[in-house]
Amino acid sequence: MPKGSRIIKVIIGKTGIDGHWRGVQAVAAALRDAGMEVIYVGSLTAEAVVKSAIQEDADVIGLNVGASYEQIEELIRLLKENNMSDILVMVGGVIPRVDVPRLKEMGVHGVFPPGSRLDDIVKFVEQNVRSVG
Amino acid sequence: MSRKNNQENDPPEKKFETISGLPLKEIYWPEDLPPGFSPREDLGQAGRPPYVRGAYPGMYRNQPWRIFMLTGAGSIGQARDRVAYAVSQGGSGFICETDMSTWLMMNVDHPEVLARKQDVGWYGAPVQSLDDYRDYWGRLPIGEMYCHLGAVLPQMTPYFMSCFFTLLEERKVPLAKVNSTGQGDFFITYISILSPYLVPPQAGLKLNCDAVEYAVQHAPRLTPVSIAGNNIRECGANAYQEMAAILSCAVAYIEEILNRGNLKIDEFASAIGGVNLSTGSDFFEDIAKFRAMRRMWYKLLKRYGAEDPRSLRLRIHGLPLGSIYTFQQPLNNIVRGTYTVLAAILGGAQSIGTPSFDEAICTPTKLAHTTAMRTQQILMEESNVASVIDPLGGSYFIEALTDQVEAKAWEFFDRIAAQGGFIKALDSGWLQTEVAREAAEAVRKIERGERRIVGVNCHEMEEEPYEFEPFRPDPNTWRLAMESLERVRRDRDNVRAEKAKTDLVRALEKGENTMTATIEAAKALVTVGEIGDLYRDFFGRWSVPSLPGLG
Repeated sequence: MPKGSRIIKVIIGKTGIDGHWRGVQAVAAALRDAGMEVIYVGSLTAEAVVKSAIQEDADVIGLNVGASYEQIEELIRLLKENNMSDILVMVGGVIPRVDVPRLKEMGVHGVFPPGSRLDDIVKFVEQNVRSVG
Repeated sequence: MSRKNNQENDPPEKKFETISGLPLKEIYWPEDLPPGFSPREDLGQAGRPPYVRGAYPGMYRNQPWRIFMLTGAGSIGQARDRVAYAVSQGGSGFICETDMSTWLMMNVDHPEVLARKQDVGWYGAPVQSLDDYRDYWGRLPIGEMYCHLGAVLPQMTPYFMSCFFTLLEERKVPLAKVNSTGQGDFFITYISILSPYLVPPQAGLKLNCDAVEYAVQHAPRLTPVSIAGNNIRECGANAYQEMAAILSCAVAYIEEILNRGNLKIDEFASAIGGVNLSTGSDFFEDIAKFRAMRRMWYKLLKRYGAEDPRSLRLRIHGLPLGSIYTFQQPLNNIVRGTYTVLAAILGGAQSIGTPSFDEAICTPTKLAHTTAMRTQQILMEESNVASVIDPLGGSYFIEALTDQVEAKAWEFFDRIAAQGGFIKALDSGWLQTEVAREAAEAVRKIERGERRIVGVNCHEMEEEPYEFEPFRPDPNTWRLAMESLERVRRDRDNVRAEKAKTDLVRALEKGENTMTATIEAAKALVTVGEIGDLYRDFFGRWSVPSLPGLG
């Protein structure tokens, strides 16, 4: 059950410069089916994602990563700088298992490599939204 | 067909069908053959109309398929070494993969790339100028060996073809001799990547057709463009959508070039007649697809009045799908690679490129890359499957399936035509929406357990049985690329470069073929980013109107 009576707002985007969409489409659809409001922002830099999150008053940021984690590090830093560390941050995509602890250490709340169940992602958001930071 | 079991809650009644939804009977008999089936007419001898049994007489008895592997990531040096390695291990052609920034026609100091320096080199090596191209390719046996000249997207075609031709000229290889391929694929560009830095589909068609017209005159053995069906399949399209989309793209080429009025159909059809076709999870469906595809190509080209066998015969590069490879238990992907390569062989592909077993985790490591080539080599040398042409021909099942998949493909082809043709269907987002719908359905089937994937929703393991170090690009890749870019800017004749850019813009404004101007631009060391900016200024930028699930 989502905390509070307000609909959960999720920003979904990609850190990389390209726009491969199969993964983000599946996640966005699952979150929408669970009653959340999903705003797909495309391939944006961390700075632009944060701006979007402020504009949309988002509860959750979900990013697809396909290469380096440079933008994720930058995102966490900018969120802290803007006193937005209460936003739930999750990443998914082609993430080698050996990298999962590193992402968690960076401050990412949820890491979803390929094979993650969509309903696990939905549950993760429902159970952790508005209770981090 | 229901399955009997003793459980309280029966699973949903199992439907026996191909992955694309074609029904599968329990067993096939002669009466299941297409009505009036006449093998010699309906299939033809290999290398003879309607080409179902194979594109060439003799097929693999005369010449094995080409081992044509996608290769190269990291810095240019790293990528070049890997390509040379692949060639040394039996690759009979090579593809030098470039970085995503290069695909988007950006130099590494474009703001979008600067924000993501660490991403440069993950998918391929960044190539920004003729100097970089020469550096990457220089020692490879171009002109002697079949290669992909590097233009993945239509917006890359003229510039990369220009670099390729210039390099051949420097190496004193006559253009008329060169047997190689371009690509300039619309599917990866306008369905898969969806970056806001793409020129519109119509512009992509113009650029590709400029290259086709030029190549037909100057390099008649080159295949300047190659429709890559595997790319639409990786996005989620099914087998008959893939077939229909390829043919619709071919129609776009044919009509554009015929409209230009410079070439007759038989003068350019073979230039567009080398395509990529995927093999995926459904073994028999994809074999039937290859056979049907050759017959459909023949019928389509005949509609346009083609008569030359070189126009009527479709050449196929078989590409097993990377998207069926799993992140979990990656060694299992060697098995997936094996049966999908086998499907391409039984389908009669002219060349095959196997994804590596770590495809779902990273750009290929050397070990995985080697294993992918060995997969093809073992099938080629040990299994004896290549000794008989079209060995599944005559199977009641395969012949029935070949006809059925062809019928479904023509239906979807007509639906694309009803949208105003291929380019309109892409521009409006219609084709992307159809593909996305199919992709979403595939996800549902997997989540529900209706489609079983070992390691993903059955035979899963809490702990991975083995770990390995994924490929990582040289961390200096961006810096090295930046140095190369600065060197080019500093050392080139800037007067010549500026003039070349002006001349290219003029050619665009006049609606002329831009190849001559692009070749001069490449020689003048105009960079990829400058060409990209020039194109974006002239053609404008394109975004897909919408995508289901993403609004």
